[in-house]
Amino acid sequence: MDNIVLLVVLPLLAAFLMPVVARSSEVLARTLGLSVLFISIAIILNVWNQSGQIDSQAVSIAIGGFLPPLGINFYVDQISLFFALAVPVMVLLFWPWNRSTSIREYSLMMLLTASASGLILSGDLFNIYVFYELLAIASYSLVAIQGRAAAVAASFRYLLMGSVGSVMMLLGIAIIYTQTGTLNLAHLSLLAPEKLNNILGLGSFALILTGMGVKAELFPVNSWVPEVYGSVSSNLAALMAGLLSKLAVIVIVRLLILLFPQPEALQLMAVLGIMGVITGELVAWRAKDFVRMLSFSSIGQLGLVFLAFSIPGEMGMMAGIAIVLHHMVVKPALFMLATGWRGSLENLSGVARRSPFAVLLFIVLILSLLGIPPLPGFWAKYLLMVGLSSQDGSIYTLGMFIVPVAMIIEIAYLFRLVMIMYRKEGDEAAVNNPDIKVAPQSHSKWGLAIAASVAAMLIAIVLQLQPASDKLVSLASQLSDRNQYISTVFPQIHTVRMQSIK
Amino acid sequence: MTVLDDLLLFTALASVAIIALRRFASISKFSVVVYALATVLLIKMSALGYGGEPVYSSFTVNVLGQILQWRFDALSWFFALITLVSALLAAFFMSGAWGEKYCKEHSKEAYGLLQVALILNVLSMLVLLASGDLLSLFIGWELVSWASFMMMALNPDKLARKAAIKYIVYAMAGAMAFLMAIAMTYNMTGSLDYVQVMQGMAHLSNSQIALLVSLYVMGFGIKMGVIPFHLWQAAAYAETPGAGAVFMGAISARMGLYALLVVIVQIIGLTRVAAIEIPYTFLDMQNVLAWVGALTTIIPTYIALKQNDARHLLAWHGVGQGGYMLLGVMISDSIGTAGGIMHVFNHATYQAALFMTVTAVIYRTGTSNFSKLGGLVTQMPLTFMVMVVSIIGLAGIPPMNGFVSKWLIYRALLLDGQPLLFVAAVIGTLGTILSVYKLVHNTFLGQLRLEHQEVREAPLSMLIPMLGLAIIIFATGVMPGVVLDWVAAAQIAVGIAPVEHNLGGIELVQGGLDMIWVTGIMFYGFAVGAIIFYVLGGKSKHIHQYDNYAGGHFLTSKVRYHYSNHFYAGLMHMIGGWYRNVFIKLEHALVSLVSFMSQFSENFYRSSQPVMLVAVVVVLALYFVLGSSGGAEVSAGVSLGGFNQ
Amino acid sequence: MNSTSEFVTSEFVTGNVSLADVLPQMILMPLIAFVSGLLMILMYRKIAARLQRRVGPPFFQPVYDIVKLYGKKTQISHGLIHDIGIVVAVGGYVAAVILLPIPGMDGIADKGGIITLSYVLMVPSLGLALGVGQCANPNGSIGISRALTAMLAYDIPFIIVVFGVATHYQSTSLVGMINYQQTHQWGIFEMPLLAAAGLFTLQGMMGKHPFEIYVAPAEIATGPMVEMSGKYMGGLFVMQSFQFYVASVLYASLFLGGGSNWFEFLLKIFFVVEIPIFISFLFPRYRTEDMVRIMWKWPVMIALIGIAFVM
Repeated sequence: MDNIVLLVVLPLLAAFLMPVVARSSEVLARTLGLSVLFISIAIILNVWNQSGQIDSQAVSIAIGGFLPPLGINFYVDQISLFFALAVPVMVLLFWPWNRSTSIREYSLMMLLTASASGLILSGDLFNIYVFYELLAIASYSLVAIQGRAAAVAASFRYLLMGSVGSVMMLLGIAIIYTQTGTLNLAHLSLLAPEKLNNILGLGSFALILTGMGVKAELFPVNSWVPEVYGSVSSNLAALMAGLLSKLAVIVIVRLLILLFPQPEALQLMAVLGIMGVITGELVAWRAKDFVRMLSFSSIGQLGLVFLAFSIPGEMGMMAGIAIVLHHMVVKPALFMLATGWRGSLENLSGVARRSPFAVLLFIVLILSLLGIPPLPGFWAKYLLMVGLSSQDGSIYTLGMFIVPVAMIIEIAYLFRLVMIMYRKEGDEAAVNNPDIKVAPQSHSKWGLAIAASVAAMLIAIVLQLQPASDKLVSLASQLSDRNQYISTVFPQIHTVRMQSIK
Repeated sequence: MTVLDDLLLFTALASVAIIALRRFASISKFSVVVYALATVLLIKMSALGYGGEPVYSSFTVNVLGQILQWRFDALSWFFALITLVSALLAAFFMSGAWGEKYCKEHSKEAYGLLQVALILNVLSMLVLLASGDLLSLFIGWELVSWASFMMMALNPDKLARKAAIKYIVYAMAGAMAFLMAIAMTYNMTGSLDYVQVMQGMAHLSNSQIALLVSLYVMGFGIKMGVIPFHLWQAAAYAETPGAGAVFMGAISARMGLYALLVVIVQIIGLTRVAAIEIPYTFLDMQNVLAWVGALTTIIPTYIALKQNDARHLLAWHGVGQGGYMLLGVMISDSIGTAGGIMHVFNHATYQAALFMTVTAVIYRTGTSNFSKLGGLVTQMPLTFMVMVVSIIGLAGIPPMNGFVSKWLIYRALLLDGQPLLFVAAVIGTLGTILSVYKLVHNTFLGQLRLEHQEVREAPLSMLIPMLGLAIIIFATGVMPGVVLDWVAAAQIAVGIAPVEHNLGGIELVQGGLDMIWVTGIMFYGFAVGAIIFYVLGGKSKHIHQYDNYAGGHFLTSKVRYHYSNHFYAGLMHMIGGWYRNVFIKLEHALVSLVSFMSQFSENFYRSSQPVMLVAVVVVLALYFVLGSSGGAEVSAGVSLGGFNQ
Repeated sequence: MNSTSEFVTSEFVTGNVSLADVLPQMILMPLIAFVSGLLMILMYRKIAARLQRRVGPPFFQPVYDIVKLYGKKTQISHGLIHDIGIVVAVGGYVAAVILLPIPGMDGIADKGGIITLSYVLMVPSLGLALGVGQCANPNGSIGISRALTAMLAYDIPFIIVVFGVATHYQSTSLVGMINYQQTHQWGIFEMPLLAAAGLFTLQGMMGKHPFEIYVAPAEIATGPMVEMSGKYMGGLFVMQSFQFYVASVLYASLFLGGGSNWFEFLLKIFFVVEIPIFISFLFPRYRTEDMVRIMWKWPVMIALIGIAFVM
């Protein structure tokens, strides 16, 4: 169990070793990165196998033997373990294989892996900040390293937003620290009802939300998204849209549950979520470029996530997790399809004749994204709608009307595209359009394989609805269980506290 | 395994088989056999049509604390019967010459896809009809929507593609309204099971019911194409490939009525709907829905009157006839609902037959444009006959079946004392008569075009289903009791007193209807007319069509005089100004609104001052935070919280 | 709800109609209708002549006309549908006549009722329209489009009137309505506005002045009749006599209490026909769209107000 720490340490080591090793042998350096990823995956699978009870009981790992609240700890429960597994797996899937990439990029990828794993596992607010910063730096650099002028410009903008966001986050953490004198999450959680349930606590939440929101594509601080996704390789875009944004969301949700019990915090998230949904979908409606369309649709989906998590109670948690997991697999698959379909939408005219399989996959994926039953996306949307309608607040009522409108807009632009793809030969629109400069390329086999396996996974879930929904319930209950978190980290304090209450 | 399991499993396996075999030539025959066998399985459940107990499926799914189940009751059975028979006839219709021509014009693959679309439509409709709770109803609902979309999208023409896109956006709007309603129902009643929801509904307030009813009706109404959601349907159905249009026109939009019957009539109950007063009017919600039905009969019918393409004309009538069904159901007594439900059957028969005749005309002449047709009666007499029988049904004139269902609706409106609705319904019928005459005149009557001199009768594979339908239209017109048996069972299933009927029609103290007698007398009248004409009059001489009076001019074969353009000039002179395209403008306005808002939002993502943006956001977020806690608490919070550490 | 409803219900008992009872009526009723119709045509011509200070035709002129038309040598057929159109036009009225109760004979009135009758009355128009369509003469088609428009024009007020009457009696049975009127009060006194609107509609239904532009003699070359010769024209002549009869009997049954005996009945129906005939020569012909306009304005308005009173 303790070798969970290796998930962070090994990639971090690899990241710094790789440039050094590369001087002697480039092949060795590359193998180093890959082998670290494989080792990470093996470690997590091992942990999962060994401790089957993680479903019911989370585990806290004190680093270096120092117990919290003084020492720092990793918190391992189902959701963090799942995301910790997702990090190396997805990095592996979207590994920049086929280009003659500099070793620096691999090194940055390893840094990304380390910081992402740390972010999701960390049980300490300051560590979260540190890993978040590392992650941010890795991703700015990965964007900038793509070399294209557009990518550099986008990266710069991303950097500006991200660093201002980080400062805000640090400010929020500082406020929390002044209020409580601790940064351990479990400890904070114990103190939160007394010390953070006030205006300053709320203010610090707003600051942290804005800061982490940059990565999580939260509404107002997400204007970097289209430029960055549009200028980087599909692999990186898939990784960022699929994985990194979700990690930030999960961390925000964890903080929300543990530290900020105020309903205003939820409302703030709901408002920003709604704004994200509606603006994202509206702009995607106008997008003339496939990747841009996907980016804006991603913003819209993240808006849905925030809206879902803002619903108090288990229903909201379930809806949020369902949308997060669903989007986490579907969006990367869509970005993989985008590799062959860059440029103007008009480029894709009649593409269904050349690559019918890719178009078929595309349709299955967007159907699920739209929430068409019985595909998994529907159940996520169903939970969201039921959750929204169970709340009385006017913001939730508004959300209940906005989400359908957003879905209608989404279907309009996605199926407009499908119709373009199925255009028949010799259509005058396809022939005379001046936008068309490059013919769409074919997809890489790897990308198609990823998309196909995601589609297969979606269908498999439909066939296994019952176990899948049970799993979702258990994930949601564990994530929303504050007491479990506290009692896991502080077994003794918790019992004492329980006794004192009695 | 119950019979329902057999039916659903069989259809599902058949879908897989048809998808796998779609490129083979024998797919046509195979699919006909499939539908025939499915119909046999359905007939094994025919006890349902005469008041038998519902048949449950042994297959259930437990997901998210919700048990999804499937079952068939009399209403489902009635709709399923129409679905399967329509599919059987449509499959038969396309199995022969039409299919071969379609393969040649498009491709074998396209034909295979048409077969796939048909079986998927049938499967999804059966799943919908079998649904046993609101969630499975929604799943079936969406499956039907997408199967329809697939069918529509098969036509690669620009117009058809546009119609399909429009359809799917409308359908999504409907589905979303439906989903919202389901979510609310779940939270209000704590369940989605029909029985439990029904019990839960009793405790809801009128305003809650009003909200639910509006959302449900919006969801279902979009599928039915009722006002103001009528714009998508006609173009979408008309542009579907011929045999597909036969099936779609017959039954597809009626799924909306099925769901409406289940949810609004059975679960919520029309008495609850009627209890909702609309403020500042004399109307209650039920009246409003009845008026929606009435306007749906009028507006699309008069839009149909202006069409210049046979398929579009028929499709618009399909929308209009849906209004009768809604109107009938909304009268809420046993006669009115019987009329509404029976009209589903009647409409399916004549609409399928009409689409078949038009498709046959297209098959032979290559067009359905009125300006390019005319005089085909001499070339295609049987097709003409089927069309005449069907248009009499569509117009609701005795002795065809359309008359019976409309009679029931009129009768119920009379008993209910609804003069304006009655007038609206009749205005719709009169418009239909005008418009169907335009249809039959412009295709089959008048002068034959030169290029159509060689046109022959439709091939046998197309004629057989057409004639079969014509016989059904006539037979169920003479003996409506056959259908009314099933309708009465369906009425019991949705909790309405069944209509009292006999084989010939309705027996009512205050004036009934006996179609056997009425038909008998009509044919007696025709016999008398024939005697007067053939026996008393001399022998007539048959002359060439061009040999007619033209005010001193000679009509030669080079000059074709067929009056088809601007057909009802006098009427249009009068009412032409009333067509204001209000709904089209409304639709455009909505699209413009979205476009405008989209542009507006885009500006945000284009802003070139990201840092400024973050700063502004933080300030706003803090303002929100400060503003959300009360004023006194704020100052206390700041002074206490700030520096006491 | 109206207090009259119980009366109608109690007074009208559904009888079991057997074919043996109806068979003689099936022969007699059309005959009576035909003869009365011919007399009405004669009356129409006589009155027209007197108004124009002419002597007018002899008594048997309508019969002569029919014999002449059927006896013509030139009988031009444009095809089977052309023939069938005429058959249906006449046959539809024959059927309608049997649905209309007259003194001593109910025909099958209780099997159909007023709604069925209204729709059966559309059958002849449709038959004629099909027949004319087959003639392949564009002028005929233009004429028929006008005729159908005219039908739309007068049928809407007609249906409103029918609805008002049926609502008032809470019944669609003509027999029931007549019985009620004979024992209580005529409809015209209970529903004067509807009766007035009905009279207006009658003018249109009879297909005579001033709403007859589609069949007007002056417009014969551009009307439905353009290809009708010999027995075809004869059939339409027969149809016209039925048309007069049906319109007047229907009006008499709805508003004037039908007839308890033959004398009263004939008096009433001839009186009913007489009114529109007198009016018809006071006005010039209306164009089709003008007819639509006037029919949808005045009778509809009056009838709707009338309905408001009976509701």
